[in-house]
Amino acid sequence: MILFKNGKIFDGQAFHEGLQDVLVTEGRVDRIGPGIEADGAKRIDLGGKTLSPGFIDLHCHMRDPGFEWREDIRTAAAAAARGGFTTAVSMPNTDPAIDNDALIRYVIEKGKAAGFARVLPAGSVSKGREGKELAEMGKMAEAGCVLFTDDGAPIGSPRLFRTALLYSRDLGVRIMEHPEESSLSKGGHVNEGRCSSLSGLKGMPSSSEEIGVFKAISLCRETGVPVHVTHLSTGRSVHLVREAKKEGVPVTCDVTPHHLCLSEECVIDSGFDSRYKVNPPLRSKRDLEALWEALSDGTVDAIATDHAPWHLDEKDLPFPEAPFGIPSLECAFAAVYTEWLGKGQPFGMERLMALFTKGPASILPKGWSDLGMLAPGSLADLVVIDTDIEDVVSVSSWRSKARISAWEGKSLKGWPVMVFVEGKPVYSQQGEKTK
Amino acid sequence: MRMEWKHRHVLDLKDWTREEILLLLDQAKNMDDLMDRPIKKVPALRGKLVVNLFFEASTRTRVSFELAEKMLSADVVNWSASGSSVGKGETLRDTAWTLEAMGADAVVIRHGSVGSAHYLAKKLHRASVFNGGDGAYSHPTQALLDAYTAWKHFKNLEGRKISIIGDILHSRVARSDIRVFRELGCEIVLSGPETLMPLDVKALGVSYEPDPRKAVSGSDIVYLLRIQRERQEEGLFPSLDEYYLRFGADLDLVMHAKQEALVMHPGPINRRVEIDSSVADGAQSRILQQVRSGVAVRMALLYLCLGGVMA
Repeated sequence: MILFKNGKIFDGQAFHEGLQDVLVTEGRVDRIGPGIEADGAKRIDLGGKTLSPGFIDLHCHMRDPGFEWREDIRTAAAAAARGGFTTAVSMPNTDPAIDNDALIRYVIEKGKAAGFARVLPAGSVSKGREGKELAEMGKMAEAGCVLFTDDGAPIGSPRLFRTALLYSRDLGVRIMEHPEESSLSKGGHVNEGRCSSLSGLKGMPSSSEEIGVFKAISLCRETGVPVHVTHLSTGRSVHLVREAKKEGVPVTCDVTPHHLCLSEECVIDSGFDSRYKVNPPLRSKRDLEALWEALSDGTVDAIATDHAPWHLDEKDLPFPEAPFGIPSLECAFAAVYTEWLGKGQPFGMERLMALFTKGPASILPKGWSDLGMLAPGSLADLVVIDTDIEDVVSVSSWRSKARISAWEGKSLKGWPVMVFVEGKPVYSQQGEKTK
Repeated sequence: MRMEWKHRHVLDLKDWTREEILLLLDQAKNMDDLMDRPIKKVPALRGKLVVNLFFEASTRTRVSFELAEKMLSADVVNWSASGSSVGKGETLRDTAWTLEAMGADAVVIRHGSVGSAHYLAKKLHRASVFNGGDGAYSHPTQALLDAYTAWKHFKNLEGRKISIIGDILHSRVARSDIRVFRELGCEIVLSGPETLMPLDVKALGVSYEPDPRKAVSGSDIVYLLRIQRERQEEGLFPSLDEYYLRFGADLDLVMHAKQEALVMHPGPINRRVEIDSSVADGAQSRILQQVRSGVAVRMALLYLCLGGVMA
């Protein structure tokens, strides 16, 4: 039993009035209210700090199996917990690709054994992620797969995409598309526009992503099967989703912390530092503003990290030779929260928090519907946020194996200080400091 | 009158002021005069070790740097990518640390990757880095030698108009020349097929005119860029012959510029692709003067950045 005293309670959608107490018993939320007392419970006085449902990351590269020198399920789950995430969805672009039920079980079991954030696997849409034949989606859904995606690349062809949607309609597991028209972006390194023009680096045009988003929406509309488009980075991309939602098309989307906080100017100003190399590329300041507008008006359903760790030796190269990817699990919330503050709090804090909780939870299969909320009976996946703490990101202290990140040296505000999964502590800021 | 020289590296000239560029041009003039002496050597960099690190084929830039280094009495080591540790898979980071361990005072780097000179500069604690060309981004010594060639002729470059014709998209020379000539107060117009233009020319502070005759109209300098054969193979324009007909510099094109306009080209030239022999070998051509300027400008840069002492 844990009794949280005097917390500012966020329930996944809204903040409760004043300060409240929350009693947790047997891994679930028991009661919420003022003046709760419980004998034998461990008392934690929050002193006005925020208590929220644990964050959910829909897009996390755990590199396991096959690339464990970059990250593994254990280090990713530990890093997620430190970032306030109590659930993280692992991407299937591993070696071998997560394309069958045995590998789905491997991820779930290894995640459970790690005992940090809950790891839920995404399976690939196609066998071997080769974009040719459907993977055994039914068996994977049965084994606990929560998303289907060929992320890292778009689904091989519009025909395969359409077939996958029709075939998986009754499985209740959503397809997540990485929108990119590769013939336009192939060989590119940066945003096509100011950055490519000034640098001479080959550009990846916005149209490459927008054609992918249009394709996903078109297939979603025609089949009526929900589709999730991930890591949207351009103003036009989110606008396509906005218009589709107005029409009633069951499309959802997420954006990343880096596309919300960093622009192509970072690439230029840093003298082409590879820490800013990511796909989709960091876009223009105008795109960045359009993404914030889409958070504000509810077009965006979730913030997902696209945490993409690399070994130092692989990433510490001249820009064109370095691989794509920005790791951010351990600072994602602080990064977005700091940017939100810097923008003068353009919308309510509850919307920002929902993008990490209720929003991503609603993309997951129905069996996980009590994630992302804090109500009597819900799982006690909880994060305590101290919005006053300001800290400088030091990647060398991360639980993740990543040692290069765009956030290195940035001073950010709003940090998770305690994290619980089903009532069990998986991170405490104090514990970390004495380590 | 002489200001303190604050630049250790020559990477992309992004933070160089007009005064600094003019000081460099002044210093290059001294070096240029030196080249006319019977004994073309001064002891300014005696005891300094300069490594020429060339990852890409280069003749004139490499030879020009080497001449400049030798005329200043530096010890020169040529480290080419083929047949060295680089060919054995050594990373640029390890190469950098190795060079510093050997005591290099300066490294001249030519590399196919944008930002490689910046990368090297971040990894070296002591040595100066001279960018001999990085991908399609920057070729600062070329831009300074072009500026020197133009400055020697016109004295003042403020308000001059320069038209640059050719493959701007893939050209580090164009990006660096735009940087330097704009800092010196010039107006720049680009021309060439739009498939060879950057998407955002406004970001470069220049304008684009697809018709080369209109572009060169009123120009003081017509600057032609080399057309790489592989661009045609990539399908960015239909044929070299059509390129020449639409954008090649012949006497008729040059007639549209000012009467006393200079014709420049970074070399090596493709005759009858981007330039006709009547123009390349004509009275307005400064192509060979550019080569000579290259040695003088690189001497001046080495001298200033390595804190050399003139005897």
